[in-house]
Amino acid sequence: MNVTVRFFRPFARCLVPYTCHRKRSNVYSGVLRRYMSSKVPSLSCHNKDSASPPEQLELDGWKATMKSSVQEDGVSEVSDKDDSLAATRELIEMWRLLGKEVPEHITEEELKTLTECASKSAKKKYLRYLYGKEKVKKAKQIKRQMKAEAREEAKRARSLASTMGEEQQDFMFLRLWDRQINIALGWKGVQAMQFGQPLVFDMAYDNYMKPSELQNTVSQLLESEGWNRRNVDPFHIYFCNLKLDSAYHRELVRRYGEKWDKLLLTATEKSPVDLFPKDSIIYLTADSPKVMTTFKHDKIYIIGSFVDKNTQTGTSLAKAKRLNLATECLPLDKYLQWDVGNKNLTLDQMMRILLCLKNTGNWEEALKFVPRRKHTGYLEVSEHSQELFRNLKKTKTLNSYRKGSLSERTWKR
Amino acid sequence: MTFYLSGFRNFPKLWKSNPYFELGPAASSASFFLTVHCVTGNQQRWFSVKPTTPPNSKTLNLLVAKARTHKKRNDSNKQVSSDPHYFAAGAAKKRSHLGGNPQNQDHALPVRSTVQLPTKPLNSEEWDKLKEDFKGKVSFEDFVISQMARSCSSVDVAKSLLAWVAAKHHGIVGYNLLVKYLYLCVFHKQTSEVIDVYEIMKAKYKSLESGAYTLLIRGLIHSDRWREALLLLEDIKKVMDPSKKNYGDCIQGALLHQDVDVAWSLYQELLGRNLVPLLETLKAFFDYGKGINDDHYSNKLLDVLLYLRNNQLYPGESFAHSIKTWFESIPGRQWKGQFTTIQKSGQCSSCGRTIESIQLSPEEYEFLKEKIMRDVIDGGDQYKKTTPQELKRFESFVNTCPPFDIVIDGLNVAKMFPKGRESQNLLGVVSQLAQQNLQLLVLGRKHMLRPSSQWKKDEMEQVQKQAHCFFTDNISEDDPFLLYATLNSGNHCKFITKDLLRDHKACLPDARTQRLFFKWQQGHQLAIMKGFQKSKLTFQHILSYDTVVQTTGDSWHIPYDEDLVQRSSCEVPTKWLCLQRKTQAPC
Repeated sequence: MNVTVRFFRPFARCLVPYTCHRKRSNVYSGVLRRYMSSKVPSLSCHNKDSASPPEQLELDGWKATMKSSVQEDGVSEVSDKDDSLAATRELIEMWRLLGKEVPEHITEEELKTLTECASKSAKKKYLRYLYGKEKVKKAKQIKRQMKAEAREEAKRARSLASTMGEEQQDFMFLRLWDRQINIALGWKGVQAMQFGQPLVFDMAYDNYMKPSELQNTVSQLLESEGWNRRNVDPFHIYFCNLKLDSAYHRELVRRYGEKWDKLLLTATEKSPVDLFPKDSIIYLTADSPKVMTTFKHDKIYIIGSFVDKNTQTGTSLAKAKRLNLATECLPLDKYLQWDVGNKNLTLDQMMRILLCLKNTGNWEEALKFVPRRKHTGYLEVSEHSQELFRNLKKTKTLNSYRKGSLSERTWKR
Repeated sequence: MTFYLSGFRNFPKLWKSNPYFELGPAASSASFFLTVHCVTGNQQRWFSVKPTTPPNSKTLNLLVAKARTHKKRNDSNKQVSSDPHYFAAGAAKKRSHLGGNPQNQDHALPVRSTVQLPTKPLNSEEWDKLKEDFKGKVSFEDFVISQMARSCSSVDVAKSLLAWVAAKHHGIVGYNLLVKYLYLCVFHKQTSEVIDVYEIMKAKYKSLESGAYTLLIRGLIHSDRWREALLLLEDIKKVMDPSKKNYGDCIQGALLHQDVDVAWSLYQELLGRNLVPLLETLKAFFDYGKGINDDHYSNKLLDVLLYLRNNQLYPGESFAHSIKTWFESIPGRQWKGQFTTIQKSGQCSSCGRTIESIQLSPEEYEFLKEKIMRDVIDGGDQYKKTTPQELKRFESFVNTCPPFDIVIDGLNVAKMFPKGRESQNLLGVVSQLAQQNLQLLVLGRKHMLRPSSQWKKDEMEQVQKQAHCFFTDNISEDDPFLLYATLNSGNHCKFITKDLLRDHKACLPDARTQRLFFKWQQGHQLAIMKGFQKSKLTFQHILSYDTVVQTTGDSWHIPYDEDLVQRSSCEVPTKWLCLQRKTQAPC
């Protein structure tokens, strides 16, 4: 091999202008390289066909071994029963070999979902989702293993230490904090059920959502319920329009398990309009033309539990219009310098904002829960800045500054 | 110290105000920015002065440079004038340039490679050495072969890499390396190598994946074993739909080997799968057709042209040339082709024939009207765009009024000239049109009636005197009403807005209705070019003819896309291929 390639090298040298090799400066190297690599191959190919059969043999050596090494590692066993499923499985396997983002293991059920995907891109998306899920799972497993090992290690060390000296200590409480906290929260929850301000989650959007979106919604509902429970002064949560045995209901029951029946909130099939007087209801939606100025403690706020990845704008506004309800949106533009992203916030963010408003009434404080990536900072509408601006205006420093800088610039030009 | 006193909130928007940047970067680099935000509330205004972090001078200079080049481009664009109509190819791009929208230039990021790609085959020691120098996340072989594929290295270099890998791994070369090698082979048209790799893959793997199949098909069609490409196509079909490229390659392979029947049946299958064939594929049929004199074949080609017509596809420039040469090659018929344009009157500049009218047929018109009502305004939920009460009010209003000549999108027109007051703009346009004795309808929102700094009461009263007016609720959409009012008034009625109405087009259920809508829009939309008080109101001229592939039996007119013009989806080509028979041959 050594010899053959060395024999071949002078060939290439004379094809490529020699100076290119030497004078490859930093700036041009990239360009040159591309230029050369696109130019050279065709030339060298032509020459090679005519000139050197021995090298070809050498270079093609691997093919023979590839062909001979064949059947030993035959990829997969034949399964005749379900042809298309098996073929899909093989396809995924080949994609994995190619380094695409597909899962390593796939269950029958997932395969079936995959074959039901309407389009090629839907299939790819689903596979990528499975791949991500698998990766997260694997990482968690590894972490758990490492933790278990560390715990084992610590235990061993402790057992060694405990044999050394065993001393009595005085404590005031048993270590039952979690349970105590839960009981306390439950007690507060009961208080809220009796006297708390209602907060409604409108669940009438299940036909607007795909299964994945619905799952996200339920996750967000769970999280907002958790935030509410831990608050000093929780809302009395209503799940309205929650049809028994709808996809929503099933998913909620599945996620909460047996806790579902012990939750300190009201789940009802009724619409909020039936439960509360119409004029005290305010439907919160980002599409609303009316901006919320203060949090009113005598109103009933409705949040649509709707994850909208399909940008069906105006769905909840249409709903409020149909029921003839007042609508409001958060004053995001007034307080924040919005940068990117949708004005729609997640349910748990809404919940935390409302809780904060309820307790403090401070917008800056409450809007801390808006994701930081969505805005570049608070707009300062405080007294101080207004004062400053007025002063500037009065003394006309603003104008003179501006003029001065202008003239300076023109000079320098 | 500089003060940027501007209404713009965020920094990128400052690009629009070119004058700042024209002053030069010198002073600004040393300053920190004091942005003054002006927040307009309902009535009162707050101002806040807020120091933002000074962007470093480098980025600023970059911005300045960008703004300058941008301006330059604008100027050069202005010199290239005379755009024929609102929907002409490239017109939207030009408009956006004139509007001074910031252009997002995509800077090609330099490909950072830690390894100098070899330009000649290396031996194993050299590869080893190269590998030692390499630092990266992915494996060395993967990285190198990907780079080779990207820069289209010679097959031999790749081969030497594979040989090295095989020597190291007991003769096994990974599938991904094989596929990328195959890519290089296909790219360099090394058919024998493709066949070798094909043999290896067939032997080693039971089935492949779509990427490799695609490459193999493309590689095999040039060889004698092109029929195996069809088998590979069958293999793809087992798991997923083949792409139009797969079909296109197979068809081209069949045509290369003179198997016309296979090619046409593949074409039928392609259409059957609701795929839109690549224009290259269609071109291949025309290119092949030059050689043969067969009525059956030429009928099929005419079918292809009708397919283009029905789906409103336009051939590219080279395809247009192919069509022309095919027509001219038909013996005995003496077709004569000419590249031309259509005059404003709708006559072909070369033969003088009138191109098909843009007007919809009565059935199409009724169909579109109903669809607009059902899908755009109602859309399954009347509350989304309007309310049932409002809809009823609107319908009774439309029915009591005589048919309109022109329907005006009040808000769009009013905001067209930022210099003037909004009600003043609207009144200007309305009164100019009213002088021509036209029945006008102005659509607007209710807030226009509430006197404010922008909307003066007396001016609105004058508008209402000169035109019929309909004001929707402030949260309703007015465009759907505009569409319906125009459609309801009949074919002569036009509407004025600068909006391209793409979102409403998107509400329509299928491509056919959307095309119908687009055709109607081309024929009925008036876009104001200028018309601010002093100057006379002028519109972009309306197309009187339909831009679509069309025939009269002894003539064909085929619009085509020029290679150098970028056409957006809401525009139509301006160049045409005119074909006609020289002597009327009896047939």
